[in-house]
Amino acid sequence: MPFPRRRADRRRRHRETAPGHGAPPPVLPDRAAPPLRIVTGTLLDASPHLLIVATASGEERLTMTEATTVWHGGRGGPAALRPGREVIVRPRTDGFGADRVWVDIGRVTGTMLACGRDTVEVDMGPHRGRAHVAVPPQVLEPLLVRHPRMEPGYLIDVICVGSPDGPRAVRPGTPQPGHRADDLAAPDPAAPVPPVLHGTVTWWGGASAPPPRRRGLYEDTWPYTADVLPPRARLAQLAPPPVTGREAHESLLSLLDTGDVPGPGWDERAEAEESPTWREFPLLTDGGAAYPAVDAETGGGCADAPSGCVPFPALSLGSEITVHNRCGLRTATAIVVECGCVAARYCDRCVECGVSPRGRLAELTPAAFAALGGDLETGCFNALVRPDVGGSLMRGSAVRW
Amino acid sequence: MVTAFMNAQVLLLAAVLLAASLAKLTVREAPAPDEVHGVPVPAVRRTREATVALGLAEGALGLALLLTPHPSVRLVAAVVFAAATWVVGELRVRRPDAGCGCFGGLSGERVGHRSVVRAALLTGAAIAALGAPLAGIDVLGQARFLVGLMFTAEVALFAALSPELSELVGRHRRRRVRPWVPCERRRAPLTETLATLHASAAWAALEGAVTGAAPLDAWREGCWRFVVYPARLDGTDTEVVFAVSTAERDRTVRAVHVRAGRAAPASLPPSTSVLRIP
Repeated sequence: MPFPRRRADRRRRHRETAPGHGAPPPVLPDRAAPPLRIVTGTLLDASPHLLIVATASGEERLTMTEATTVWHGGRGGPAALRPGREVIVRPRTDGFGADRVWVDIGRVTGTMLACGRDTVEVDMGPHRGRAHVAVPPQVLEPLLVRHPRMEPGYLIDVICVGSPDGPRAVRPGTPQPGHRADDLAAPDPAAPVPPVLHGTVTWWGGASAPPPRRRGLYEDTWPYTADVLPPRARLAQLAPPPVTGREAHESLLSLLDTGDVPGPGWDERAEAEESPTWREFPLLTDGGAAYPAVDAETGGGCADAPSGCVPFPALSLGSEITVHNRCGLRTATAIVVECGCVAARYCDRCVECGVSPRGRLAELTPAAFAALGGDLETGCFNALVRPDVGGSLMRGSAVRW
Repeated sequence: MVTAFMNAQVLLLAAVLLAASLAKLTVREAPAPDEVHGVPVPAVRRTREATVALGLAEGALGLALLLTPHPSVRLVAAVVFAAATWVVGELRVRRPDAGCGCFGGLSGERVGHRSVVRAALLTGAAIAALGAPLAGIDVLGQARFLVGLMFTAEVALFAALSPELSELVGRHRRRRVRPWVPCERRRAPLTETLATLHASAAWAALEGAVTGAAPLDAWREGCWRFVVYPARLDGTDTEVVFAVSTAERDRTVRAVHVRAGRAAPASLPPSTSVLRIP
């Protein structure tokens, strides 16, 4: 992942040792399930009963059942499961077999720069570059229903499927905001920051999208190599999903007692010696979040990005946010790996399982979005987001989800 | 009684016209948007020059109502208020996003029922004032109790029907109280953080242990910016984590030693200080 987790853990440890700071407030959702374990990788082989996927950590074999659904630009069958394609697999909640398989799914979100007859050029923000999206005639009509302003300067958000010629639009991700990209009504400068934000959470990128290129202070400092997960996270992947944050902590402790093999990396010796950090909710080990209010002073932020639709507290890359999916009732902590400059331009709602208040609170990587129970083709879920700033500010707030 | 009522209307109309003129000349309007939620709305040409010209005309009419009892002036006033009622009603239907501009920039709120009712009542008052025998200045000179009572009641009714009053009070309040950006959202430059840190007692106490001029790491979390420096304590390489508040005033600086992933609370110098920013 873009932001090394060891560094994020190190920051968290440093923060918590500072006087006046401590664990996040004891806010627990009334009913919250842990995140699902998502498999992301390249399809090696597929049969009616078995999927073989090459992932960053090795080869994964997943059982296919009759209930398994395949998405490839719409409802697809086993024919869509061709070797070499990028897949995201979400397992069933009972852990037996694959529930959903998304093949070559992607998403393009940003400001339209040029609109041709069947292509749209989109500026996806300073961290993600530009994309040319093909819009077939049969997709244009439903797209225009939710994106009436297909003009340069307006925002676009489409779910795409990968093709040899680049991303091909399949359906709108969310309704198009009525305002121009640079005409967002920001909250009052003196508006107080709520401890828990309520709005919509979406995803960005895709199964085959390259990792975003980092510029600025961190350019070439922490290259985008396959990140070696910290010991706790790797063990968490092997362990059955715990039920609550406390149980997660205890299960991780017991696993750590059995020994661990630290991988190479930055200050690894010190990392191996440290005691595990207690987390209120499980950490999303495969993915992260793009947060709209990343501090530009300490790198990774967007100095010219709008302040967002809701009053966000400022965070940095490596900070953590806790996301609660109100649709799937799953909660997990995600590391901020990118500035959500594009999300900051959206003042929209999600209408999945109720209407959320306005404001795009975060964008998750596809694996993190699916791990929280989100359907990638739907595009969003109604969410509560708690920026884990810790300290006396958040402590003692009696907020319940 | 009837005459007193008619005379009171002359005073009311003159007061309203002069107030509207003053507001149009002194409070600028915000430009109205061309569209609502992506849907274009009919354009209304409302330039500053037109607003000033309208304000001057209203001021002249208000002064004329005060100075002369000529029927033509009263007739013009009645026509003006009737036209204003029609315009406000149309704006309410066609421009649900824009204010009427009746009192310049104070009338930025969308046109509602109150504004239409107010304009209609003023039109009625202008029609009633057609038969008033005295000019406004003469009514003031007589200082009749009944006229004063009616005028006061009508002004109170006018104020109750005016959304501009809350805007005026709000502007006055905002001018007195500067908006205070919460520390979580405040854009605090890194130079300010370092200046606050270097001027703090926590830095003075730990400066001797710090071995590097540049911080190893710096990041922001809400009201705090964390800065990590390499340090050496009791012959061991450690790190010092400073937490610097990002508040506009009264910034707190906290510090702690961290060694091999653990806090070392023993042998810590006094680590908390509050820097008063004038």
